Amino acid sequence: MPQSYTITFKSEAEMPDITMSLGTTLYNKTGTWRYMRPLYRDKTSPCNAACPAGEDIVDYLRMVTHGDLDQAQQRILAENPLIGVCGRVCPHPCESECNRAKLGGAIAIHVMERFVAGLPGRRVLPLADKVAPPGAQVAVIGSGPSGLSCAYQLARRGYRVTVFEGLPVAGGMLRVGIPSYRLPRDVLDAEIAAIQDLGVEIRTGMRLGDNLAFDDLRQFGAVFLAVGQHRSRKLNVPGEAADGVLPGLDFLRRVNMQERVAIGARVAVVGGGNTAMDAARCALRLGARQVLVLYRRSRHEMPAIDEEIEEAEHEGVKIEYLTAPVEILATAGKVTGLRCVRMNLSDPDASGRRRPVPVQGSEYTLAVDTVIPALGQEADLAFLDAGIRAADGLIAIDRAAATSLPRVFAGGDAATGAGTVAYAIGSGKRAALAIDRYLRGLDTQDLPPLGEHVRVAARDVDSEIVTFEQINTAYFQEEPRTLQPQRPAAERVRDFREVNQGFSEGEAMGEARRCFSCGTCNHCDTCWLYCPDVCVQRCDPASPRPPGPSRSAYEFNYDYCKGCGVCAEECPREAIVMEEELKWKR
Amino acid sequence: MEKVIMGNHAVAYGVQLARAQVIAAYPITPQTQVVEMLSELCADGRLKATFIKVESEHSVMAATVGASMAGARAFTATSSHGLALMHEVLHWAAGGRLPIVMANINRALGPGWNVWTEQTDSLAQRDTGWLQFYCETNQEVLDTVIQAYRIAETVLLPVMIVLDAFVLSHTEEPVNIPDQEAVDGFLPPYEPRYKLQPGDPHAFYGLVAPEHFMELRFKMQRDMERAVGVSQQVGADFGRAFGRAYDVLEKYRMDGAELVLLTSGSIVGTSRVVVDELRAEGHKVGLLKMRMFRPFPFDAVRAALCGAKKVAVIDRNISFGHGGIWASEVKAALYGSTCQPVIYPFIIGLGGRDVTPQSVRGIFQHTLEHDAPTEQILWMEVKR
Repeated sequence: MPQSYTITFKSEAEMPDITMSLGTTLYNKTGTWRYMRPLYRDKTSPCNAACPAGEDIVDYLRMVTHGDLDQAQQRILAENPLIGVCGRVCPHPCESECNRAKLGGAIAIHVMERFVAGLPGRRVLPLADKVAPPGAQVAVIGSGPSGLSCAYQLARRGYRVTVFEGLPVAGGMLRVGIPSYRLPRDVLDAEIAAIQDLGVEIRTGMRLGDNLAFDDLRQFGAVFLAVGQHRSRKLNVPGEAADGVLPGLDFLRRVNMQERVAIGARVAVVGGGNTAMDAARCALRLGARQVLVLYRRSRHEMPAIDEEIEEAEHEGVKIEYLTAPVEILATAGKVTGLRCVRMNLSDPDASGRRRPVPVQGSEYTLAVDTVIPALGQEADLAFLDAGIRAADGLIAIDRAAATSLPRVFAGGDAATGAGTVAYAIGSGKRAALAIDRYLRGLDTQDLPPLGEHVRVAARDVDSEIVTFEQINTAYFQEEPRTLQPQRPAAERVRDFREVNQGFSEGEAMGEARRCFSCGTCNHCDTCWLYCPDVCVQRCDPASPRPPGPSRSAYEFNYDYCKGCGVCAEECPREAIVMEEELKWKR
Repeated sequence: MEKVIMGNHAVAYGVQLARAQVIAAYPITPQTQVVEMLSELCADGRLKATFIKVESEHSVMAATVGASMAGARAFTATSSHGLALMHEVLHWAAGGRLPIVMANINRALGPGWNVWTEQTDSLAQRDTGWLQFYCETNQEVLDTVIQAYRIAETVLLPVMIVLDAFVLSHTEEPVNIPDQEAVDGFLPPYEPRYKLQPGDPHAFYGLVAPEHFMELRFKMQRDMERAVGVSQQVGADFGRAFGRAYDVLEKYRMDGAELVLLTSGSIVGTSRVVVDELRAEGHKVGLLKMRMFRPFPFDAVRAALCGAKKVAVIDRNISFGHGGIWASEVKAALYGSTCQPVIYPFIIGLGGRDVTPQSVRGIFQHTLEHDAPTEQILWMEVKR
């Protein structure tokens, strides 16, 4: 490398026409001027932080924008084998946190997931390293989302898994709780079949505590309890035993098992959750002329998914707020009416929602012939071994999903009460990771604490969650959220075929491109274009990535980077940080 | 191929044929169609160039400078206030010895707000180190764009092509559009002597101490002077290749002319008609069309005017506190010459006021009837 030197020209003839150095300037390592250093450092997107199933949403959306659809599907499947299910029924807490909400509406993440799930071809689930000890076997009790998730994560690591299901069909609440107009059965069947393709055996009609005992499970190195919550809470009002009272979950189970269910012309559904919405909409589809949902709080407190409420109303379901039943009226043992009382909202209770209190003297009577209580559900834990501790109606577990009985683990609604498919999938995954460690004699307590989401293919990213204020909105236009088409309400109430129709490929690509890619480098080249010192260099994709927390496609040439920070300032998605140089000199 | 096109599109065709590689531009009336057509040519691939939208004319010239430094054949177009805003970077382009070509559509500077033709915007940039060519017709506009790159890339100085707002820019005339092959033969690809290369970095345009600065300016002026002969050579070569030869100025019916009308831009065309009429009437009158303003072609002007008794200089511009700019340049050119015609410094047509054959005839008449100019500036058609 040449050194700096001084030239004095004797005449103009010796000089170049322009003022330029005759020698190269490479000797001048302008990087020594720097006191701040840019670093590629991916951060956590709000959607990823919010996903109970631990999906890497921002990464798979990036893959979609690059046209790598199969890769995107495999990326989600590593965390969740039921993406066709979640793309339809998940309450998508990711979308509630999406930074795009402030610039045209949250990304329709659940519809994107459904699109990626629906790629043509037979689903092949991604395998993981075969770490299972030879002959290791695991029993999973319950074939709902939690049990299936656990079975999948174990099977892809080489475990032999047997799933015992009490019902004659697999799928748990997905099969008997969620109506087919929200989740078509072929979608569910295909996703379960893909898990079975990994060697998972599902034995239906085997109910623990009934025709299956804990003693029968001795051959298994570990047992995972994922029995769900299948018992409807009672109304606890007089008249509940009358003919015409159909507990919500029983009603849905019979409808979903295609049993003949006698329904009256005038139906009252009591409750404000998704079970209430499902029951009301099923009642319409079974021919009820009038379906009324009674909820004791206001719309604001209603726990059902917003879209479900809107779809129910479009179909003709009426919702009456701030009212609660006090007595079911019956004549000759058959329901004839419902006595209700108006409610007022008082101060917030332990759940943070305002507590409803009855308004004195406001009682009134509705003429109905069917009452469907849908006040929530609880687990039937009568089967539990005495050594397994329960608390508040839930199986007690630690961060490794372990119960108080050695080798027995638990998850899903029966242990968490969370009540969503995505949470159940995350819970089953946590148990699988714990069981894998347990059976290999490793520490099981290094899993994230309960409440944090578990990932099996985590990228190395900072835990800092990117806020809207950190997004460089100069690079984004306000663009409306893409809506998926729906069948017209008048048509869809006549059958149980699917309501939502999903995205076309064009719609999906357009929606993916709206994503800010919060905190995740998506190779947009902005830093590369802006660097005034030509210090941002594209990495050869084939070469090993530089060490550190970034998975970036670029690297800085620190010999010449002056630390001006233009790259970090311009980065549209907060994937570059500036750090004091002193930290690096030490 | 013959086409009937406006001056602004003649610019764009010229740029397309010259195979410009980077165009940075900001729209301004009356230049806008130049940019519109070039952006379309870039968008649909007829011109393989990068079109850069920039937020102001200052940045336009900065981007153009950057492109030229990187070795690209660069182009832009502007007018009036846009040119004024570029002023600082015009020096940078010239001092950087970058062969950029720019079209400037002559337009008055406000206030009062005015979008019509006047030469003050471009003439006010005379000291920036840019070559300047003033065009009479749309054909000349197209031809000059092509010649400009060859001249600029020979002397390593930027070239401004100037045309009148609306009279040329928006008026359609029949124009012969040369074949691409012929233009490629006339104008080879640009081979930069120096260029920015990330792989072989050099320091460009750094600090120059007093011990070397003057030499750089000396070399620049010497190349400016050389540009007269280069432009004459290129204009003659163009004539051989395309049948339309150009010089730095044009003598029209100057044989035995005692009274010479001297002007530039589209007033030349009007004056040709008047001179023909006056010759038919028996007057010994000629016309000197000025095409090159910078560098000023001293020798050619002296030679052309030797023999004339009176020279009426028609200026559509004003240097406040001095007068018509062409007139002062012509006077300076004749200083110390053995030929000393009387100079009549007319100012007419500011802010786009029409200069008609009657106007030119009025100038002739005034010059004919007076032995010397009656005022420092001979204002024509001013309501006073």
